[in-house]
Amino acid sequence: MTWETSDSEGAKPTETARGDRPGDAAGGGDLILRGEDVTKEYQTGTQTVRALKGIDFGIAPSDFVAIVGPSGSGKSTLLNLLGLLDVPTDGAVSLRGQDVSTFSDADRTRKRKRAIGFVFQSFYLIPTLTALENVEMPRMLDKTPVKTRERAKTLLRRVGLGDRLDHYPDELSGGQKQRVAIARSLINDPALLLADEPTGNLDRDTGDEILALFDELRAEEDVAIVTVTHDAYVAEEADRVVNLVDGVIEDAGETAADGGHGA
Amino acid sequence: MSLRHRIAGRFPRLVIARRNISRAKVRSILAAASILIGVVAIGAIGAGGAAFKQSQLQSIQAQGATSVYVSPGADMEASHFDREDVKAIDETVGAAAVVATEPGSMELITSDGTRDGVSVTYIDDPRQLHEVERGGIPDNWRQSVVVSHEFAADRGVELGERLKLVSETETASGTVETEHTYRVVAVLVESQSFGGGGLFLPIEETGDRQYSRVEVMTESTDRAEAVAEALRDRFNDRKDRLLVFELTSLVRLLKTLVNGINAFLAGLGSISLLVAGVSIANTMLMAVIKRREEIGVLRAVGYGKVDIVRILLVEAVLLGALGSAVGLAIAVVVAMVANALFLGDPFAFTQSALLYLAGAVGFGILTSLLAGAYPAWRAANERPIDALRG
Repeated sequence: MTWETSDSEGAKPTETARGDRPGDAAGGGDLILRGEDVTKEYQTGTQTVRALKGIDFGIAPSDFVAIVGPSGSGKSTLLNLLGLLDVPTDGAVSLRGQDVSTFSDADRTRKRKRAIGFVFQSFYLIPTLTALENVEMPRMLDKTPVKTRERAKTLLRRVGLGDRLDHYPDELSGGQKQRVAIARSLINDPALLLADEPTGNLDRDTGDEILALFDELRAEEDVAIVTVTHDAYVAEEADRVVNLVDGVIEDAGETAADGGHGA
Repeated sequence: MSLRHRIAGRFPRLVIARRNISRAKVRSILAAASILIGVVAIGAIGAGGAAFKQSQLQSIQAQGATSVYVSPGADMEASHFDREDVKAIDETVGAAAVVATEPGSMELITSDGTRDGVSVTYIDDPRQLHEVERGGIPDNWRQSVVVSHEFAADRGVELGERLKLVSETETASGTVETEHTYRVVAVLVESQSFGGGGLFLPIEETGDRQYSRVEVMTESTDRAEAVAEALRDRFNDRKDRLLVFELTSLVRLLKTLVNGINAFLAGLGSISLLVAGVSIANTMLMAVIKRREEIGVLRAVGYGKVDIVRILLVEAVLLGALGSAVGLAIAVVVAMVANALFLGDPFAFTQSALLYLAGAVGFGILTSLLAGAYPAWRAANERPIDALRG
């Protein structure tokens, strides 16, 4: 995988992707998501805010990337772009080689649904739905209730909640809620999981369990995981840490290297 | 997999919307109640007004709106109809009953010697107009008087009594008074008919057997209108030979008037629906603000903007439908009371009453739909990550 800030002059092309793990396809041909010189500007009143100032990235199957950085550094914006919730002002984001900016809003929603799962710090489970129904939710509009239910049950068993199917969110612990949320994010077999502070509301032990679950998912289902985090230990577990400061990637150093992940 | 689950799986937006509504029960009930009030206002006013209109129409009909009154027109040589004219009219109007009369007035000399003007109708047979209540009209009716129910009641006239009447005739040498005495042979039944009160004398008493008024009696106001039309076509092609007068124009006026008042009142009622719309909009806005994160999650996991809009619109429409359904039930009860009061039958719904009721429901649901539009649009256009990262 790659994760770079392009310099204004003579930026390194992303094709210089380093195959730092055996699973990576050299040259990035197999990338799930790829960004080139991605710039995002916002108009606030009369001011133009440049939230991202030309960054490159590439995410390959079973990657584990941690994005860190102070607030206001552009993390939300980056998450928006990675999640196909927004398109860049300049540069290009492509999903499996297709330029996202050519998609209509409905197209992006459809692709997002198939390719990307979301996990949030505050879980955002719907309080009036059981664990099972929460997991089914992304597929509710598909009108395939029987198939969806089978898949949701399988996923909840997969995350270790086979005995909590009919529990409501307020009957579950924080770790259990996050497991339900992860099961929900997986219902459409995404290639990429975007996790926004997934351990932010959990104690260390529970956080470790979630990270272990991430590792399993990467190993067994080839899911790539990109997480925004403040927790140093989460960053340590990642293959790669992206330090985002003021819209540019400061130091794209590697941590913990191949500490057993993806093996 | 239960059947219920399978069926619910076919209508996911409806299921989601219904669940959302039951989450904030009090808020939902209040919003639905506001729609209810609007629907009741429009439905009850409209249907009640329709019942009132119907009762007024019926009473106008009872007063002779089904009849057409014909008099000699400005271009007719004689100022009277003769038997030939009456026959021609009879042929033109077809099945309707034709009654030729000659109105007049006389002075009644009361028992204490004072004189009192009374209206007199010269006619072949009073039974053409009204049935006999007491007494009887001889086959060969001559030289006796038949009185209306009202006349008999007002003046305490009894059968067999003799009435002294004075008629005036204009001659070259001045007004000549002639005194007549007639025995009362019959009293007619009570009637609310136009020009029904007074005395009836045989047409022979006019001396010339001429009529100046013809009443054509039909079954309905529509028939009366058709008859009037036919008469004008036949006789008033180029000249105004007949003066045709029908109460249907009055009926039409009344209809326009009552319809106007009714529409105005229903319009006032729809102001309450407008207020209801504001209330629904407020409720939905609160709901989408409260569920900001949840909607963000839905968007993130692959619900399109259109899906969000549709779910929220279904929610608003469900609120409206709930309020409209209960409101309809109440409005129907009110309309039934109005029906019983004005028409004597709680189930005598007129077509326009049903239209008002249906319109109130349709309007209630439409209002909810429109009121839900802005909150739904707003929720759908929220940027998911903004919602989810606070």
